Amino acid sequence: MHIEIDEISKQFGTTAALHPVSLALPSGALVALLGPSGSGKTTLLRILGGLEFPTSGRVLFDGQDATGVTVQERRAGFVFQSYALFRHMTVFDNIAYGLNARPRATRPQKAEIARRVTKLLDLIQLPDIGARYPSQLSGGQRQRVALARALAIEPRMLLLDEPFGALDAKVRRELRQGLRDIHDTTGLTTVFVTHDQEEAMELADLVVVMSMGRIEQIGKPQDIRARPATPFVRDFITA
Amino acid sequence: MSDVSLAGPPARFRPATGESAGARWAMIVIAFTGLAILVFAPLVAVFVVALADGVAASLQSLASRDARDAIRLTLTIAAISVPLNAAFGIAAAWLITKFDFRGKAFLITLIDLPFSVSPVVAGLCIVLMFGANSAIGGWLVANGFPIVFAMPGIILATMFVTFPFVARELIPVMIEQGRAEEEAALTLGASGWRVFRTVTLPNIRWALLYGVLLCNARAMGEFGAVAVVSGKIRGQTATMPTTIEMLYQEYLSVAAFSLAAVLALLALVTLLLKTALEIRHADQLAATHRH
Amino acid sequence: MGRPLIHRSPMPGLGLSMGITLTMLSLVVLLPIGTLLLKGANYGLAGIWETVNRERVWAALYLSFRLSLLAAIFNLVFGVLLAWVLVRYRFPGRRILDAAVDLPFALPTAVAGISLTALYAPNGAFGQLAAEIGWKIAYTQWGIFIALVFVGLPFVTRTVQPVVEEIEREVEEVSATLGATRLHTLRHVILPMLTPAALTGFALALARAVGEYGSVIFIAGNIPLVTEIAPLLIIIQLEEFNYDAAAAIGIAMLLISFAMLLLINLIQVWSRRRIGYV
Repeated sequence: MHIEIDEISKQFGTTAALHPVSLALPSGALVALLGPSGSGKTTLLRILGGLEFPTSGRVLFDGQDATGVTVQERRAGFVFQSYALFRHMTVFDNIAYGLNARPRATRPQKAEIARRVTKLLDLIQLPDIGARYPSQLSGGQRQRVALARALAIEPRMLLLDEPFGALDAKVRRELRQGLRDIHDTTGLTTVFVTHDQEEAMELADLVVVMSMGRIEQIGKPQDIRARPATPFVRDFITA
Repeated sequence: MSDVSLAGPPARFRPATGESAGARWAMIVIAFTGLAILVFAPLVAVFVVALADGVAASLQSLASRDARDAIRLTLTIAAISVPLNAAFGIAAAWLITKFDFRGKAFLITLIDLPFSVSPVVAGLCIVLMFGANSAIGGWLVANGFPIVFAMPGIILATMFVTFPFVARELIPVMIEQGRAEEEAALTLGASGWRVFRTVTLPNIRWALLYGVLLCNARAMGEFGAVAVVSGKIRGQTATMPTTIEMLYQEYLSVAAFSLAAVLALLALVTLLLKTALEIRHADQLAATHRH
Repeated sequence: MGRPLIHRSPMPGLGLSMGITLTMLSLVVLLPIGTLLLKGANYGLAGIWETVNRERVWAALYLSFRLSLLAAIFNLVFGVLLAWVLVRYRFPGRRILDAAVDLPFALPTAVAGISLTALYAPNGAFGQLAAEIGWKIAYTQWGIFIALVFVGLPFVTRTVQPVVEEIEREVEEVSATLGATRLHTLRHVILPMLTPAALTGFALALARAVGEYGSVIFIAGNIPLVTEIAPLLIIIQLEEFNYDAAAAIGIAMLLISFAMLLLINLIQVWSRRRIGYV
């Protein structure tokens, strides 16, 4: 899905988290929102997901205004930094949650839900953990379960907030490839937030560098590396 | 929800979390109504009945001999049992948080035991152990030191029902604070007593006060256990709560409720101090009291 | 035996704190309870059964337990609602409401007892209203129920409150992004997270209510077989110097208390195993 952000701004009280920013994300792209903490990247992601409402501006999905679409109807697969898995549910029930939460009329049959969950467990390469609880999983496994849970609702896009933030370096590298693979398989427009420039450069097709609620530069990783648009970008990517 | 005009956000953006304003207010109204009926009404009723014949009549009844004896006895009981329980609470919390030994969980269960025993059963236990027809009790009575139907029994019963209060407040706080500060003081050559006085005590003083406050409120108000062991002898073993019962059963309503109002005031002061502690010293109380 | 009984520690005061703790615990709690149990052992199971197995005793135990259960169920529902309102919403008077939850802990039971009676007696403020629709509260089982609701009120709220505070907002947000309505989130995500704490509070309120005496006897009417609670029966036996019978009923109640203590511990173990927190 093609995502367009049109002059979006966000105020929290008197402080501006986002100055009006505009941005077009081509369908099927893997996009990194890169910046230090406080740069507004998470706010922008949350606005895309419908968790936050912009003070002004519009969000367009495939050319249609989606600014007022509720979070429930938006069908954005959202993965939180903490994963926010439901601790009292098994991995299976976590992944099936979005399907079970649908109104009866559109809810798939039990067998169909089970089939889809099994397929997703295969996709994240953890076919045997359906009966476990999140507390029995490693950090990397939790992240993949959170990803599978987001994919279960057949999202129109995938939004990830610091998806590798809580992991150690080795697992981080493995899972980067995992995310790349899942993106390539599903073809979903995917946006992830990171403060790690190496991660953004290595994984993303398109990198959006942000600072202080403004977009500093948009471009392919090699272009940004070759031609940093501002002193901030130069400092940040060489840091 | 429909699409939005270019002018800005829709008038009613539903946040992802939180209930609708209607549901929110409905629940707040239920909470207020429920507590008004269940808690505020009984509290107000105490004062209304106490002052039914005017302030003078109420004060006069408090000046009566029965009331004065009861107040004196209750204060004496609290003055003895609360410090003893505080000392126990500090010792138990120190033992449990500064040392590792087998059976610790069981010890904690035993300390908590009085919370799940009916006060009447507690009183019964003390009567059975120290009553005149038990072996120990008979010997003590023969030697002029009766426990049941006398002050020691009331103190024992009061201590039983308030036993876990101070320890329960101190243990979680001392676990959270760890042992590092005490260990540091020891390496600097401080004696054990000095470490306790200069390092531990300042750290736990608010939690200790909190526990003592609750312990004291319960000690002054205990009825069931004391009713069993005291014999309710006027002028000798009748505490404030048991005197309230006697006055009430003699249809001396103003007198009974005036004495009750004194205890209700004590409860209000306790709550006030407790809330003040929760606001001002939240970081030094058990985590469950921080809000 | 791999583990030593007591680990060596540089901390001072082991002997002193152990001595004070064990001495006072024994003197105040363990020996008195032990005496009751010993009395029961002498009396024998058959003897206890003979005392307990009388219509009046059964009626009292059944009454105490049934009304305590009903009151605890009421407090479970109201307590969870109260905890939610106090933690999640900001409104004028919240602090007062929060403090008021503890009043049943702070107000002496005898005071609560006579005050509730004054309110709900046929000539009391609430009693008059109820009488108009032919509803008698004081001196009936309704009165006992209300007194037991009063004494058990704080337990569920106070155990659930910290858990509500700890729920991460993200868990609720992720539920919404997965398409769940707010009601679905509350029912399938929030409520299960609160359940262990709510059940602990429920069991505590139940245990307290079963043994409650002071706030109940004034409003109960104390009619044998109808509104006579188990603790009162012990007092009646004691006043008649019927120590054996009192002890038998006391042991029956003690066993109920122990069963409930066990229940609380099992709930906590179960929830820690399953969800990794209490």
